[in-house]
Amino acid sequence: MAHITINGKVVKAHEGEMLLAVIKRLGIDVPALCNHEAIEPTGNCRLCMVEITRPEWEGWKKNVTSCLYPVEDGLIVNTHTPELLEIRKTLLDLQLARCPNSELIQKMAEEYGVHETSYIANVEGDNCIMCYACTRICEVLGKSAISAVMRGQKKVIAPPFGEEPVDCIGCLACAQICPTDVIPYEDKDGIRTIWKKKFELVTCKNCGKTIVTRDFADYLIEQRRIPHEYFETCDDCKRLELAKKMGGLITKAAEVAV
Amino acid sequence: MKYRFEIIPSLCIGCRTCELACAFSHAKDKKPGRSRIYPLAYAPDKYVPVVCLQCDDPACVKSCMFNALKRNEETGAIDLDEERCVKCMACVAACPFGCAMVDAGHDEIVKCDICKGNPACVQFCPTKALVYNKV
Ligand code: FES
Repeated sequence: MAHITINGKVVKAHEGEMLLAVIKRLGIDVPALCNHEAIEPTGNCRLCMVEITRPEWEGWKKNVTSCLYPVEDGLIVNTHTPELLEIRKTLLDLQLARCPNSELIQKMAEEYGVHETSYIANVEGDNCIMCYACTRICEVLGKSAISAVMRGQKKVIAPPFGEEPVDCIGCLACAQICPTDVIPYEDKDGIRTIWKKKFELVTCKNCGKTIVTRDFADYLIEQRRIPHEYFETCDDCKRLELAKKMGGLITKAAEVAV
Repeated sequence: MKYRFEIIPSLCIGCRTCELACAFSHAKDKKPGRSRIYPLAYAPDKYVPVVCLQCDDPACVKSCMFNALKRNEETGAIDLDEERCVKCMACVAACPFGCAMVDAGHDEIVKCDICKGNPACVQFCPTKALVYNKV
């Protein structure tokens, strides 16, 4: 256990956990866009910056991304200094220029007093903030089907050569994790389309409900050794099956008792 | 594991009080959550309360590529870490008993967490078909 001071209050935290986790736990409102527990932090969006210092630093301070800064005993953290507010404002102003159509960015910028970007708005942009959450989660999954391509202003997240990503299994993790919801997908008539690739959805053999793609199910069956029968029916039908199976046992037990 | 969750189907009358208790105890943003327990009929007027069995070798845990599901040693439940969950639905598809579900209202995956050691369904079950005991 480490003791750190956040905004004047001494709190307990686990040595080594990231400052942002502690800040969130305390309910302090520090914006963060690119952070997710399932992926390694990379500090791409810079919004989660906080000021840190220590008594022995003799007044010296520095601003760090809290999602990347591990807790150390005795750390003194401030989350809302005028300088930090200014930094976040500038960052959100820039994000708003990049993603003028993103409702999330608009809302966050609004909270920091940016009603309109002071830079040139990229109206035709796609709302991607280049946080790499999608590529990072795909990597965790063991696929790395998408990545950043091109450089500078032209940089985008895309499958290799802009073609259907060979390694993609249509699990949707990228679309789900995207903070600004810019990865489009569609589930229609038993087919999922994402990254322009089409996937067959596993259809419940009883009721026709679909949950995951055939490729994702096969990946789980192979990687995690899950029996393939588990994927044949949907959750609703499986609950009913369980009730019937247990019911059967009860009936049998009752017969035996008689 | 210090406690065991028991289901005694012969005592269940299908009143669905457990469903209500579950939905309300998992309310968020002033909205009830999706119930994690369902008394389902296997014959006319005969019910089995279907709820996560917290398996010894859980398919949901195996299926989660992001380690969002873990055994809580205190309660014995498999807990879902919402912060880690990316809603890929692997667990929903993989659970052989259909006990990992989608709560569409809150846009999240849900499963029984034994209410962190104080199960609401057990407290409200009028016939004591649900029991949570120390082992
Ligand atoms: S959340 Fe820390 S840099 Fe984005």
